[in-house]
Amino acid sequence: MIRLEKVTVAYGEQVVLDGIDLEVPTGKTMVILGESGSGKTTILKCVLGTLHPVSGRVLANDLEVGKLTDEELLRFRQRMGMVFQEGALFDSMTVGENVAFWLWEHTTLSDDKVEERVRMLLQFVGLESSLDQMPSDLSGGMRRRVAIARAMAAEDPAFMLYDEPTTGLDPFTSKSICDLMRRVQREFKSTNIVVTHDLTDAYRVGDLFTFIKDAKVIATGTRQEIEHSSDPFIQTFISLDS
Amino acid sequence: MPVRRALLFLAGVLMSVQDFTMMIVKSFRYLIFHFRMRESLFEMDRLGVGSIPIVFLANLFAGLDMALQFSVVMAPYGASNLLGRVVATSIIRDMGPVLASLVMSARVTAGITSELGMMATTQQIEALLVMGVDPVDRLIAPKILAGMVMLPALSVVGDLLGVLAGLMVAQLGAHVPAPLYWSGVRSALTLPNLVNGMLKPFVFGFILVAIGCFYGLRTTGGAQGVGRATTKAVVSAAIWILIANFMISKFLIDIWGWKL
Repeated sequence: MIRLEKVTVAYGEQVVLDGIDLEVPTGKTMVILGESGSGKTTILKCVLGTLHPVSGRVLANDLEVGKLTDEELLRFRQRMGMVFQEGALFDSMTVGENVAFWLWEHTTLSDDKVEERVRMLLQFVGLESSLDQMPSDLSGGMRRRVAIARAMAAEDPAFMLYDEPTTGLDPFTSKSICDLMRRVQREFKSTNIVVTHDLTDAYRVGDLFTFIKDAKVIATGTRQEIEHSSDPFIQTFISLDS
Repeated sequence: MPVRRALLFLAGVLMSVQDFTMMIVKSFRYLIFHFRMRESLFEMDRLGVGSIPIVFLANLFAGLDMALQFSVVMAPYGASNLLGRVVATSIIRDMGPVLASLVMSARVTAGITSELGMMATTQQIEALLVMGVDPVDRLIAPKILAGMVMLPALSVVGDLLGVLAGLMVAQLGAHVPAPLYWSGVRSALTLPNLVNGMLKPFVFGFILVAIGCFYGLRTTGGAQGVGRATTKAVVSAAIWILIANFMISKFLIDIWGWKL
């Protein structure tokens, strides 16, 4: 479970999150929706502990992220998978090396075992043939797939965080990425947070939905609850998307 | 308002000093408790071996020029017999390490800042953190070690090249016999000179890599930000190398006295 309690984040005098509360039950996918620059990605940074709130606290499986030391944070993140907006693949490494990176860093597996697992992960995302390619040779969709494979390299990722995983992709590729995210959740039963501004993709992957506007949570609930919300912003958002 | 701006500026400077110190302390802690042999050797090859041609070229021409200038100055006083000693002393004590560092800062500091800057702006640094890997451990510590090991090594060989180049000018231009030149060079190989010649590149190697890493990690603002950070890093490294050069010279002269 991931829980944010009265979290406030500010960059200088600009308040990005204003006392927000959020709860993602274990094994569920929470989709955070809102306009660009509304503070969606900031929530992910708080969960990862790369950004510390001015006030409030972030709990991940009852562990208070803000109270962890640097070493504890590094250990905590080892059970976390994160897919960045553009993939954030290491551009000096091949696809295979990118996926193997976590295994090299945190396990004592032999090279053969690492390669076996890398091949399995790339097969899972449908990119086994790209093992030796460089990230610069891949399309946007392929890069996201590799990023998902890399995020899954941890034996048992308890949390998966996705930052705009389908932005800039064509509808077919977006759907395949969403399907893949669903498969990942089924496979690992992880607790997921997905940040997006695409409602179609949100419905494909989400169990719960949260709308952020002006640094505040304006609604949280299931698809039905969101669709029946009387909030004008949400109604406009839904109508514009459809 | 100006007071507030000055206070904010001061706070920014203090924060930068704190961040830099933290980065250095963590780097040395990782070098001691979590040493990465593979990455360190890789960086030594990249930063050190890759810089051989430019460092050697710079030292070669510095040796040629210094021998030429000193022979012009010393000939009227009949002191050409001291040419070997003067050239070797200046190269070992100052010119060799400083020149090697300045040339390397153009290559190494710029390279490190742009590499890390690009990684920072494309979220690769954040990706490392998210994967439970401290970028200081994986990226910075091996580079700092490589700088501190490889610059003294390059500097020593560069010094030798500079002295050999000086010999060429001494023989052909100043008509100083080779044995006389070499006896001067040998007399310059004193403990104070050798300590000078080894300590300086060790410190300069640290400076040029640490500054490159620091600016690289803090890069924001896309390609333009990378360019800005690289310029700042190279200029800072050059200035700090010159400052450190003076301070080490002063420190060693205070220890050894005015002995050559």
